[in-house]
Amino acid sequence: MYAPLIWAKTMPRHDLPPVPFGGHLPDELATCPRLIRHHGRMHANESALREKAFGIWQEMTWGQALDRTRSIALGLRELGVGEGDVVAFAGQNRPDLLFTEIASHAVGALSLGIYKDSLRDEMGYLVDHAGVCVMVVEDEEQVDKLLDLGDAIPTLRRIVYCDPRGMLKHDDSRLMAMADLVASGNAAHDREPQLFDALVDATRPDAPAILCTTSGTTSHPKIAVLKSGPFLRHGMSFLEVDPKGPEDDYVSVLPLPWIGEQVNAVAHFLLARIRLNFVEDEETTNNDMREIGPSCVLLAPRVWEAMAADIKAKMIESTPLKRFLYDQAFRLAERALNDGQRSVIADLLLGRALRDRLGLSYMRSAATGGAPLGPDVFRFFRAIGVPLRQVYGQTEMVGVYCAHRFDDVDFDTVGMPFRDVEIRIDQPDRNGLGEVVVRHPGMFAGYYRNEEATKADLRDGWMYTGDAGYLNARGHLIVLDRMRDLAKLSNGDRFAPQYLENRLKFSPYVGECVVLGQDRDWVTAMICIRYSIVSKWAEARRISFTTYSDLSARPEVRELIRKEVAAINDVLPESQRIGRFLLLYKELDADDGELTRTRKLRRGTINERYADLIEALYSDRRNVDIDTTITLQDGRRQRIRTNLAIETLIEPSARTRGKRTQAVA
Amino acid sequence: MTAPAAQKTEDKLLEASGITLSFGGVNALRGVDLIVRRGDLLSIIGPNGAGKTSFLNCISGRYRPTGGSIAFEGQSIDRRPTSARAGLGIARTFQNLALFAHMSVLDNIMVGRHHLLKSGFLRGGLYWLGGAQREELTHRRRVEEIIELLEIEQIRHAIAGTLSYGMRKRVELARALAVEPKLLLLDEPMAGMNLEEKDDMARYIVEINREWGVTVIMIEHDMGVVMDLSDRVAVLNYGEKIADDVPERVSADPHVRAAYLGEDDAAA
Repeated sequence: MYAPLIWAKTMPRHDLPPVPFGGHLPDELATCPRLIRHHGRMHANESALREKAFGIWQEMTWGQALDRTRSIALGLRELGVGEGDVVAFAGQNRPDLLFTEIASHAVGALSLGIYKDSLRDEMGYLVDHAGVCVMVVEDEEQVDKLLDLGDAIPTLRRIVYCDPRGMLKHDDSRLMAMADLVASGNAAHDREPQLFDALVDATRPDAPAILCTTSGTTSHPKIAVLKSGPFLRHGMSFLEVDPKGPEDDYVSVLPLPWIGEQVNAVAHFLLARIRLNFVEDEETTNNDMREIGPSCVLLAPRVWEAMAADIKAKMIESTPLKRFLYDQAFRLAERALNDGQRSVIADLLLGRALRDRLGLSYMRSAATGGAPLGPDVFRFFRAIGVPLRQVYGQTEMVGVYCAHRFDDVDFDTVGMPFRDVEIRIDQPDRNGLGEVVVRHPGMFAGYYRNEEATKADLRDGWMYTGDAGYLNARGHLIVLDRMRDLAKLSNGDRFAPQYLENRLKFSPYVGECVVLGQDRDWVTAMICIRYSIVSKWAEARRISFTTYSDLSARPEVRELIRKEVAAINDVLPESQRIGRFLLLYKELDADDGELTRTRKLRRGTINERYADLIEALYSDRRNVDIDTTITLQDGRRQRIRTNLAIETLIEPSARTRGKRTQAVA
Repeated sequence: MTAPAAQKTEDKLLEASGITLSFGGVNALRGVDLIVRRGDLLSIIGPNGAGKTSFLNCISGRYRPTGGSIAFEGQSIDRRPTSARAGLGIARTFQNLALFAHMSVLDNIMVGRHHLLKSGFLRGGLYWLGGAQREELTHRRRVEEIIELLEIEQIRHAIAGTLSYGMRKRVELARALAVEPKLLLLDEPMAGMNLEEKDDMARYIVEINREWGVTVIMIEHDMGVVMDLSDRVAVLNYGEKIADDVPERVSADPHVRAAYLGEDDAAA
């Protein structure tokens, strides 16, 4: 029936830019300050980055970027920052924070990015542990945290703030405005015009330059030490697989301290001269993205998931005609995708409009990384013509080192390793599944001030990633889960909780979830509803509710989620099916230590905090009484008293009986 | 920090003396005197019907007092209409929102610039030639500064009527700021807001007062906010001013406690 429809080749192809510097980065350019000086001279009047301020995109050339970096570098030097010191930065991604990072390398110091939403004590730990002497922050919010820390951070001599708003009330002698730092840097430059050049010439490719915090799923974050030369050269290997050039627009919204953003906004910015775009405000991101129409992005799986879930939710609310068109076009697009092609009609009807709406019209290279992305979301974006691919890496390994090639995308894998990257599987089981162990020339030099952790993870030059995976016949790496999170049912069946969680989270109604089952007889789940969507769903059905907890406890909502879980169970092998679930009375939150800052689950904390609930899931009880106090994001505390019902999809008795029968047979 | 404080004590921005306002037989205000110094953040509190909003309306020109007079920057403004008072630098927000619901946030705020625009009907028609474009750009720049101060970038192009209550309050404040006021009158800026929105609003008011140097008269019921933010607190009761002092002394005043906080025994 669909045969006469027009198929197009594959994804929209664009001319690929060549790999910069002919694929070989010479030593005289192999530090960040040297690269920015090079471009500042060679491409002085070309656009380097744009920042939206006062509602207008304000452009900055490479020449201006170099001047600004020089001013900050010399300003830092005036403050006494030198060889081996640590300069930290925190705040929303801004050009000045990026320049601070490069400037600190120029004076021989190391840069350390701290997430802007770190709690006060997390920030205190990092500043103290790394011995930070100068910290550059965006605004009052960060300053308040640092001042609150008082004597806990004795090494910190200066706090430089970019936004002077709200600073009048503070009179701490460590405070200094960015404008003053720049002015003192300019004065130093006027006195000694050759100084900056001398400093940049003195930077060494093999010296430690970047300190990068790991996401720290267990305890305090560890700090990986990266050297500029290897860091940049690894960036080059990435460009071989995913070529980028000065025509590419990149929207910098991921946290700058994160390794993925370091590679894009620092390495690729300096190597391929991709143009960085800084959004006005976190909340304007979607609109700003659409205005820019970036050609390359790297987004966390949850962002892609949220985008897909959002579209699906909007379609649910849409008119019957639109829904019909959407369904037809989407089916067409999926059929074409299965044949490795694209349907022109589906693209005209649906793909083009969706890409425009999402700001992905000019997308040439879209990547997801940081955690596994469900195959359904993957298919969704490929079907609407977004060339999405999976990338895989770790902070210690300078981010991505495995990626899908353009024409070789397999939803279940994370792609093939870059050139120079060696991967082996440690202690594989009979299916070849074991720990992923890697080495490549760009990798980290060890953890900063943490010998013990370095010895544990870095053995004979190989990095033990702690991820469980295997290589398939085509040389693609498949990563299932963290090694220690791979779980085994009591009957010996292995299962990967994260994989199941991703499947669940593809439902627009599921926000977060935790899949359990280690050493138990069956698999269960604790699910957090996606409030924004379930609340709309409830309103449309005139179901009254007050808070998140109240909404979760509604029987109608439970029934809704039950259907979603049942649908997923249908496509899963028997051992993996979710037998029971409950809806949690609160959202999992990083402030409660239940998620990491990159929104990965902290299973240890969760298992401990919800031990009663977990016990109940494996008992004969049908409900649990809850009486607890939670802290809301604005600091208020709320007491929650509710009765949580446990939903059973598969009667455990039936299952164990079935097993016994088998055993007899 | 000491210089503006010293300046505060000398420079009278607004002086109201013996303000009386009657609606038929009802005396809404009975001889209220109030002096507001440049840079002050003054709160007016009092029970419902005490005449707080009426007093604000007298200052902004919405009501014409039946007795007494008001001087702004040393000059009597009794005979000036509301529009002229805006031109002098008096701006206000309303207790019940008064935005143009069908217009965008940006347009709503631009309305606040209206009295500063010089291009008339004809010059506006010659948009590029008559300098109207250049004029609009300068004003837009100022509006963008206000948008940044109040952190409403994300709703710049939204239609005002579609916004949440807290956001509309913020837009109304933005419009009042666009007038470039010397004196800003806020009528219950935090009514109906949740804790987080109140926190934000308090921060904006302090910034407008301390960093932009705008004198503020605010009517507010939330005593925590009033005591934290104000330099001075005036208390109205049945149209009369019963106290006018620094927050600590006002909250300790037995008359105030009797009238406002409802402690009967303290008043004797």
